[in-house]
Amino acid sequence: MASHYEAPIRKPLVTGNKSYHDVSVDISNAVEGKANKQWWIVFSISMTLFLWGVGCIIYTISTGIGVWGLNKTVGWAWDITNFVWWIGIGHAGTLISAVLLLFRQKWRFAINRSAEAMTIFSVIQAGLFPIIHMGRPWLGFYMLPIPNVYGNLWVNFNSPLLWDVFAISTYLSVSLVFWWTGLLPDFAMIRDRAVKPFQKKIYSLVSFGWSGRAKDWQRFEEVSLVLAGLATPLVLSVHTIVSFDFATSVIPGWHTTIFPPYFVAGAIFSGFAMVNTLLIVMRKVSNLENYITIQHIELMNIVIMITGSIVGTAYITELFMAWYSGVEYEQYAFLNRATGPYWWAYWSMMTCNVFSPQLMWFKKLRTSIVFSFIISIVVNIGMWFERFVIIVTSLHRDYLPSSWTMFTPTFVDIGIFLGTIGFFFALFLLYSRTFPVISQAEVKTILKTSGDNYKKLRDKNG
Amino acid sequence: MGNHKKYWKNEIELSSDNQMMDDIKNKEFADKLPSDLFLSDQKHLENTNTNRRDFLKYLGFSTAAATLASCEGPVNRSIPYVVQPERITPGIANYYATSIADGYDFANVLVKTREGRPIKIENNTKAEVKSSANARVQASVLSMYDSLRLKGPMHQGNEINWEELNKNIIQELESMKENNSPVALLTQTFASPSTSKIIKDFRKKYPNIKHIQYDAISESTALDAFEIAYGQRALPSYDFSYADVIVSIGADFLGDWQGGGHDLSYVKGRIPVKDKKNKAKMSKHFQLESNMSISGANADKRIMLTPTQQKIALAKIFGYISGINIGGELPEKIDLSIKKIAESLIKSGEKGIIITGIDDVDAHLLTYAINDLLGSVSYKKEELSLIRKGNDKEVLKLIKDLNNGEVKGIIMCGVNPVYTLANSDDFISGIKKANFSVCFSMKNDETAVESKWVAATPHYFESWGDNEMVSSNYSLTQPTIRPLFDTMQFQDCLLKWMGSNMNFYDFIKDNWENNILINTGWNQALHDGVFKSKEKNQIKNISYNYNVSANNLSSSKSSGLELVLYSKTGLGDGQQANNPWLQEFPDPITRVSWDNYLTVSKADAKELGLKNYNVSNGALDSNYANIKANGINLKVPVIIQPGQAKGSVGLAFGYGKTNAMKREMQVGVNAYKLYHNFNSFQNVEIEPVDDNHEFACVQLHNTLMGRGDIIKETNLEIFNTKDVEQWNSVTKVSLNHIETSVNSPDVDIWDEFDRSIGHHFNLSIDLNACTGCGACVIACHAENNVPVVGKTEVRRSRDMHWLRIDRYYSSEETFNKDNNRKDGISGLSDSLSVFGQMEEPSNNPQVVFQPVMCQHCNHAPCETVCPVAATSHGRQGQNHMAYNRCVGTRYCANNCPYKVRRFNWFLYNNNDEFDFNMNDDLGKMVLNPDVVVRSRGVMEKCSFCIQSTQAVILKAKREERTVKKGEFNDTCACSAACSTGAMKFGDINDKESQVSVLKESDRVYHLLESVGTKPNVFYHVKVRNTDET
Repeated sequence: MASHYEAPIRKPLVTGNKSYHDVSVDISNAVEGKANKQWWIVFSISMTLFLWGVGCIIYTISTGIGVWGLNKTVGWAWDITNFVWWIGIGHAGTLISAVLLLFRQKWRFAINRSAEAMTIFSVIQAGLFPIIHMGRPWLGFYMLPIPNVYGNLWVNFNSPLLWDVFAISTYLSVSLVFWWTGLLPDFAMIRDRAVKPFQKKIYSLVSFGWSGRAKDWQRFEEVSLVLAGLATPLVLSVHTIVSFDFATSVIPGWHTTIFPPYFVAGAIFSGFAMVNTLLIVMRKVSNLENYITIQHIELMNIVIMITGSIVGTAYITELFMAWYSGVEYEQYAFLNRATGPYWWAYWSMMTCNVFSPQLMWFKKLRTSIVFSFIISIVVNIGMWFERFVIIVTSLHRDYLPSSWTMFTPTFVDIGIFLGTIGFFFALFLLYSRTFPVISQAEVKTILKTSGDNYKKLRDKNG
Repeated sequence: MGNHKKYWKNEIELSSDNQMMDDIKNKEFADKLPSDLFLSDQKHLENTNTNRRDFLKYLGFSTAAATLASCEGPVNRSIPYVVQPERITPGIANYYATSIADGYDFANVLVKTREGRPIKIENNTKAEVKSSANARVQASVLSMYDSLRLKGPMHQGNEINWEELNKNIIQELESMKENNSPVALLTQTFASPSTSKIIKDFRKKYPNIKHIQYDAISESTALDAFEIAYGQRALPSYDFSYADVIVSIGADFLGDWQGGGHDLSYVKGRIPVKDKKNKAKMSKHFQLESNMSISGANADKRIMLTPTQQKIALAKIFGYISGINIGGELPEKIDLSIKKIAESLIKSGEKGIIITGIDDVDAHLLTYAINDLLGSVSYKKEELSLIRKGNDKEVLKLIKDLNNGEVKGIIMCGVNPVYTLANSDDFISGIKKANFSVCFSMKNDETAVESKWVAATPHYFESWGDNEMVSSNYSLTQPTIRPLFDTMQFQDCLLKWMGSNMNFYDFIKDNWENNILINTGWNQALHDGVFKSKEKNQIKNISYNYNVSANNLSSSKSSGLELVLYSKTGLGDGQQANNPWLQEFPDPITRVSWDNYLTVSKADAKELGLKNYNVSNGALDSNYANIKANGINLKVPVIIQPGQAKGSVGLAFGYGKTNAMKREMQVGVNAYKLYHNFNSFQNVEIEPVDDNHEFACVQLHNTLMGRGDIIKETNLEIFNTKDVEQWNSVTKVSLNHIETSVNSPDVDIWDEFDRSIGHHFNLSIDLNACTGCGACVIACHAENNVPVVGKTEVRRSRDMHWLRIDRYYSSEETFNKDNNRKDGISGLSDSLSVFGQMEEPSNNPQVVFQPVMCQHCNHAPCETVCPVAATSHGRQGQNHMAYNRCVGTRYCANNCPYKVRRFNWFLYNNNDEFDFNMNDDLGKMVLNPDVVVRSRGVMEKCSFCIQSTQAVILKAKREERTVKKGEFNDTCACSAACSTGAMKFGDINDKESQVSVLKESDRVYHLLESVGTKPNVFYHVKVRNTDET
C-alpha cells in the first residue's frame, strides 16, 4: 500500500517517534534477543498442559471414547464444543488480514500477523477434535474421498461432517499460504540482520529467497490481493459449514436456518476477543505498545461490541422463532435451555456474550487496557458456553422424554481441552520468539502517513 | 458331469510321446541334481569355508525367518467335525421342543441350536398352555453357560466322583432305613408325572423318607384354600379372554402371580377390534394394589390400597355380591369405588372374574366363592395348574424337626432354602445336626455350601424330563446338548439309589407310552414337545361358610407401615441371579437395573426422610432405609414410586445372593430375610440412613410431558363413537396456506422411491397388547449378541439395549389431562411453572409402555449425516449399519429423534473390565454366529434381525422358489418372543401378511410423524376402557 494521504484528525497508528530503522529493531528484538524468565514460566505451563492433553488423548484412543462423559443421548459434548470454539477463534485472523485488506483498513497492519498466526494455531487445535472424537480414529482416512479396493465405496457427500473436512482443510491451507506470503519480506529482514550463520541459513530458507526487488514487491502485492479475495469467502463459508453440522439435523435447537450468519458473527466475535487477549499481553511483554496502540484495541473492541450485538440478536431471534413456529418440541427445547437443568450455562452465555460487550459503548471502558483484557476473556468463556449450550442442552432433552439424561465431563474431557489450550499457547509463544510478530514491511508503508512523528511534522509545517 | 474338454499350455503337450513333457509331468526336477557330485568331493568340501558374505546372508535369513515366525497371529483352535453328526449342518439351526420347569418358571419352549450349541429360546406355539417364554426363560440359555456352575459332585467342599457319592449315599440311606430314622426329601415343585412316580417308588424302597415340596415364593395359602373349597391341593386356571370385568386385588397376574403366563388370555380381551356394527369391545380391568405392578400399570382403573385395606376391600366386595353386610373401615372414597367395582362384577355376571394375591387362606377362599357366585367362565377350576405345590407348614415343621433331631437326613433338589428362608439360620443349624445332607444343585450356592454332599445337576438343556403344568397338558424336556460338566440328574440318582437299572430317559418313555400317550407315538410327542390328553378333571364344591372368612378379613387391622414383598420380572425368585442379561434387564416399572430397592410413596418418603436425587450426569441416587421387622434389620436403598399406596412399601425378592456369584452380580439385598411365615405382607418400621446409594436406572425422566403424539391414546367410548380424526389425528402443516397432513406426499421435498417391488419390512406394535413384560428385550439381547455393560456403565446412561420398553407415568391423573394441561398453557410464566410440574409424576398415575427400537425410517436422519456412509438404507426398508465402515463419529445417534442408536464406548468382549459372558470362553458359547460381535468405537442398533430375514430369502433361493406368503412373519427376535402378539413383523408387499393387515387399521400411527422420518415401525393407538370422556 503506497503512502496515501491521511486526514490530520486521524490518530497516529504508530507512536513513539519511530523511524524505519526503529521499526526493524523493535520487531526483530524478540527474535534476536533472549527469552526472559516470564516467557519460560508461561511456556513451561503451556507445555505441561499440552503434555497432559497428549496423555489424555492417548488414554482415550487406547481405551475408548467411554473415558469421556458422553452417553447414549448426548453423543457430542466437550469434543465438538471445543472444535467449534477453536474454529470460531480462528476466524478473526482471516477476517483481519483478508477482509480488512480489501477494505484498505490500515490499522490491521499492526495486528494481522499475530491474528493469522492465532488462526492457524487455533485451526490446528480445532482439527484435532474431529479426529479424536471418532470411535476409531485410525480409520479416519475413510472420511477422505480416496480410491479404494472396495470399488465404488465412496464418502457420503450428503453429510455436513464431510463438508467440514473440506472446509477446514481448505481454510487451513489458504490461511497458511496467506500468512507465509506476508511473512516473506519480514523473514528476509531478519535474515539480513542475522549474524549467526545458523540463523541466517534458517531465515534464508523460510524467506524463499526474497530479494526486495521491485518485482518482488509487485508480485507480493498481487498475491496478497488474490489471496485476500480467495480467503474472504472462506471467512463466511467455514463457519457456515460448521453450523450446517447442526442446522441440517432434525434435533430441536439444532435445526435452525439462522445458524450460518449467527455462527459467523459469533466466530468473528470470539476471534477478535482472542486477538485482544493475545495482543494485550504481547504488546506489553515484547514492548510493542507503540505499534499496537490503544486505538487498535479500541477498534477491535468496537468490532467485538458489534458482533456481540449481532449474536445477541440471533439468540433472541431463536427464542422468537421457537415461540412463533408453534412447534412444541422447539418451544420446549428453548424453554429448557433457559430454565432447564443447564440454565446456568445459558445465562453464563447470555451474560458473557450479550450483556458484557455492551459496556463497550463507553469510551472510557473500551480504551481501558485492563477492561479490554477482562472482556476479551469473558467473551471467550461466553462463546465456549454458547457452543456447549447449543450442543448439550439440545441433545440432552430432545423428542422422547424416556431418553433424557444429563452430561458431566470427566477428567479426560477437561484434560484434552486444557491440553489444546496449552498446545495453542505453546505454539504462540514459540511463534512470538521466532517470527516477526508485526508485519513490519507493511507498517513501514504507513509510517510516513500515520507515524506520529511524521504527523507532527506535517502539523507543524503544513 | 461329464466334461471332456482338454486344457493345454503349449502345443508340445498335445503330442503324446514327448520325452520332455514326460519329464516335466513325472519328475520334480527334469535333470538329476548333482548332489552326489557335490557331496562326494570331500576335498573341496573341506576346503570351503563360510566367508563373510555368506555369514551375513545366513544371519540375515535366519533373523528374518525368526522375526517372521514370531509375528504369527493368535491361534484360534477350532476343531472340525471328523465325522459330521447326523442332522447338524454347519450354518443351519436346529430346533428342539423342550420345557423349562425350574420350580419357579414353567414354560414350553423351542430351543435353537447352532452346531450343537443351544443359543436361543423361542415360544413353542404348539403348546396350548404355558407357551410363552418370559424374560427369565428367554435368558435361561445364558445360565447354562454360567462359568460358576458346579463341574462335578462334591463332598464337604472336595471334588469327588459319582460312584463315591452314590455308594456313600446308598449306605447312608440303608442305615437310616434300618434305624427307621426319618429322612426328608425337600424339593422344588415338580409338575412332572414321571418324577412323582420315581419319588413314589423311592419312598416304597425307603419308607422312612418324607417328601416335602417347597416354593421359595409361596402360593401355599391359595393351595390350602383350594383344598378347602374343592378338596384338591392345586391352583385353578384362568382364562381372562372371556372376561368383561377383571378385578385383581393385589395379584400381579401379568407378572409372576401363581406362576405367570396369564398375559396371553388377558391380552386377547384387550385388543379393540371393531365388529360389523363398528363397535369394539374390551375388558375392563380394575387393579387394587399397594405396589405398582405390571398388572396395575395395564389396568383401566387402579386403586391404591394398603395390604390391610386390600383384605377389607375383598371382604366388602364379597359382601356386596353375596348380599351380606361386612364391616371394616375404609376411606369413604375407596368404599364408593369398591361398591362400584362390586356392582360392575355383578352386572357382568359370568363375564366377571376376581383374583387376589393376598397371602391369606380366607382371601383366596373369598375369590373362589365370588367366582363361583358369578359363575365366572374365566375361572377354570377344572383345569388345575400344577406348577405350585409348596407347603409352608411342612417346611416350617421340617426346620423344627431337623433341629429336634426328629429328621436325621435331608435330600434337597431345586431349592436353596439357606438363601430363600426367612429363618435360614435355624435351617442351617438343622442340617448341621442331620447325619447326612445331600443337595442337588447347579451352583455351589448357599445351601450347597452347608450340605455334606453336593450333587451337581445339569441345566434343563442337558436334561430329560416331563411336565404336567396344567392338568391333562403334558410336555417333555429333552436335552439339546451333551452335558457340559460331570453332572447327573436328580431323577437318575434316585433311580440309582433305589437300585433300579433304568435311566430317567427310559423311565419317562416307559411311563409316557404306558400311561400318558394315546393315539400318539413317543417320537411325535418328543418332536412336538407337548401332548394334550382328553382326560377331564372333575371338581366338587365342598360347602364352607365363607362369611367367616369375610369377617376374618374385614377385621384386619394394621399398625404402621406395611411391607409388600414381590418378585421382579428380571430376577424372579433369584435362581438366575448370576445371569448378566437379567441383571442388566431394566425393571419394567422403575426401569432400574442391577438392584432391588424399597419402593415408597412420595408422601411416606417425605415423612420418613427418604430421598431420591439425580447427580450431575443425571444418574439416580438415594439414601437408605433401615427396615426393622421381626428382629431383623435390613439396609435398603429407596425408590420413590408413583402409585405406591401410602402406608405401604415394597421390596423385591431375588437379590442379595453372594454364593457362586460374580462380584459384579452381587447386588441388592436379600428380601427373603423379611419373608416371615411365608407372608408377603409384613409390618415393618422404617428409618432413614444417611448414606448414599447409586442406582443404574436407564430412564431418568418419568413423565411424557404432555407429548400426546408420542403415545397416542383414547378411550373405548371415543374410539367407538368418534371419527378417527378425533382420536388419531395426524399433525398438519401449512402448504401454500392449506392445512396438509405431514404424511402427505405433497409436503415431502423428496421424490419417493418405488417401494412396492420386492420385500418391504414393517413392524407393528400394538400398545394395547404390550404388557411391558420385557421378553422381547432379552430375546433381542440373545439374538443380536448385545453386550452387557455393567452397573457403572448403565448408570452413565450407556446401556446397550437395541430394544427398550419406555415407561411413562402421567403427571396428572391421566395422560389425557396432561395433554390438555400442556395445550392450555398461556404465556411464558405459565409454561415455566407447568412444564416444571409436569416433570413430576402423579401420585397414582396412568402408566403406558412403549417398546422402541430402530424405527428403520425411510427418510432416516441418521443416514444423511454419516460422513462415511456406514449407515444406509436397504432395498427392503431396513436401515443398515455397516460396522466395518463405521468410524464412530456418533453424528447418527445425535440426529436420531428416537435415540435408539447405541455406541460401543469400550471394548465389551474379551475385556476384564467387563467381566460378563463375553469375557469367558463358556459364556461366549451363547453368541449367535450369524451376528457379528461389534468392536469398540462403532455404532450399533436394531437391524430388523436382517440375519433372519436374509436366511428366509436364501432358503427360498436355494429351493428355487419365491418366498412363501407369510414366511417373514415374526422373523424378528422381538416379535417371535412376543407371546401376546403386541409385535408383529412381516413384509407389507405381501398383502396377506399379518403386518399388511395390521397396517390398514385406523389405529395406526407413526412415532414422531411430524419429523418426516417415515418409519417402518408403526404403533397402534392405545385404547383404554376408562370412564373419562
